[in-house]
Amino acid sequence: MNTHDTPAIAVHGLHKAYGHTVAVDEVSFTVARGRVLGLLGPNGAGKTTSMRMLLGLASIDRGQASIHGRPYAQLADPVGTVGAVLDAGGLHPGRTARQHLRIAAAMAGVDAARVDPLLDDAGLGQSADRAIRTYSLGMRQRVALATALVGDPSVLVLDEPANGLDPAGTRWLRTMLRGFAAGGGAVLLSSHILAEVAQVADEVVVVARGRVVGSGRVDDLTVHHGGDLEAYYLDLTAENAEVR
Amino acid sequence: MIRAELMKMRTVGSTWVALAVALGGLLITQILLVTVLPAIAAGSILANEPAARAELGPVDTSSTGFQYGALDVLGASGSSGSIGIATIAVLALGLIVGTTDFRHGGILGAALARPARTVILGGKVAATAIVAAVLGVALAAVSLAVLLSLVAFSPAELALQPAEIASSLGRGVIAVVLLALLGLAVGVLLRGQIAASIVVAVVLVGEPILQGFVQLVTGSLPVWAQILPLSLARAGMAAPGDAALEPLLALAALAAIVGIVTAAAAIALRRRDL
Repeated sequence: MNTHDTPAIAVHGLHKAYGHTVAVDEVSFTVARGRVLGLLGPNGAGKTTSMRMLLGLASIDRGQASIHGRPYAQLADPVGTVGAVLDAGGLHPGRTARQHLRIAAAMAGVDAARVDPLLDDAGLGQSADRAIRTYSLGMRQRVALATALVGDPSVLVLDEPANGLDPAGTRWLRTMLRGFAAGGGAVLLSSHILAEVAQVADEVVVVARGRVVGSGRVDDLTVHHGGDLEAYYLDLTAENAEVR
Repeated sequence: MIRAELMKMRTVGSTWVALAVALGGLLITQILLVTVLPAIAAGSILANEPAARAELGPVDTSSTGFQYGALDVLGASGSSGSIGIATIAVLALGLIVGTTDFRHGGILGAALARPARTVILGGKVAATAIVAAVLGVALAAVSLAVLLSLVAFSPAELALQPAEIASSLGRGVIAVVLLALLGLAVGVLLRGQIAASIVVAVVLVGEPILQGFVQLVTGSLPVWAQILPLSLARAGMAAPGDAALEPLLALAALAAIVGIVTAAAAIALRRRDL
């Protein structure tokens, strides 16, 4: 197979249980280059667990997850391939944003000169030397997003990246993601802010109780709901909205 | 990875606190050792407390034993089974490195950058060893300064040869590195800062209690009861022939314990979901 035909992200039959609780059950989806996929679902639906399995942070009981045709652990240059935001980026409150990004760059083997432009792009240039404990949630999200871009990746995996962002931050994120996809990058995005997902995602996958209950192009899925992704989502998840 | 781990250590305030406490604690402990104990023994202070003098016994600042005590880089030579402030700080240093990433989520970034998790642990081990070695050298400098001040400002003569001093301090630096690595391994193994602190505290307090109990029951302290981390570190710095285990053998045994706990931490890190 031509490597260009391989989906940037491919998840097939993913299954994960914690004891008797099934967190992810036969979840499958792909994200092609140049596309943004929204991963939607109620709290506890299995979105974060699926992303963690994709990134090799959680073991896979059954199924496969790959990036550019390889499991994450087998990528030659993981940070140069995938940028991820999970849990607001794992930020130490005593460090500054600049220190955090320099550490991320050192871990990835990336030149520290890349840090300052990333801070500027994220709108953190003026506050980069303040302790992260003084940051708002939105500023922490910006640090996390800047960290995800340290390795200049071609794939982004973002878990709730819009949490806490103000309108300007939300617009910045939307513009950044659309620009990233337009440049050939692939984005897997989980979010509860459906209006944002509707604006940025090409396709969505809806999971509930660990299973995929709906997937497809946003335009196609919402055709019977007047183009309203929220209405489609609420209809689809109404029977499976139990919070676990 | 080593450079990133060193940057992590440098940019966390608790690392500097541990280093400062180790150095300050050792300085205070050793100054008290070479000034207060001889003064009590001579009756210069606590003159009206003969019981204290009797319990302390004679203190000969010119003896090799006393001067080895002054060179103890962990400041744990005041009495048998004592826990030096520096010992606590060195263990805490490793523990901080081992648990901070788990506490604040930095382990996710590390695992994303280096999916082979043994590489992450390797980076932490190397960075901790480097910082602990630098700390050990600084602690050795403090101990040496205290010993040289003792002979400069008291009638005591230097009883130790330069080679003996260098050997004792060198073994002290190794003990500091090993104890820091032990703290690191316990931290990575347990992840939680509170849980790891409790375990380290139990080791610190439990070891002398266990040895006291064994001594009470058996009337002596068998060798097996001395193959415990703090005793091995102390024996590693002691004068040859002063402890049940020879210094290098004691350090080798301590290194083996550190190796076992580190291996357990590596297995746990590889198997766990993050």
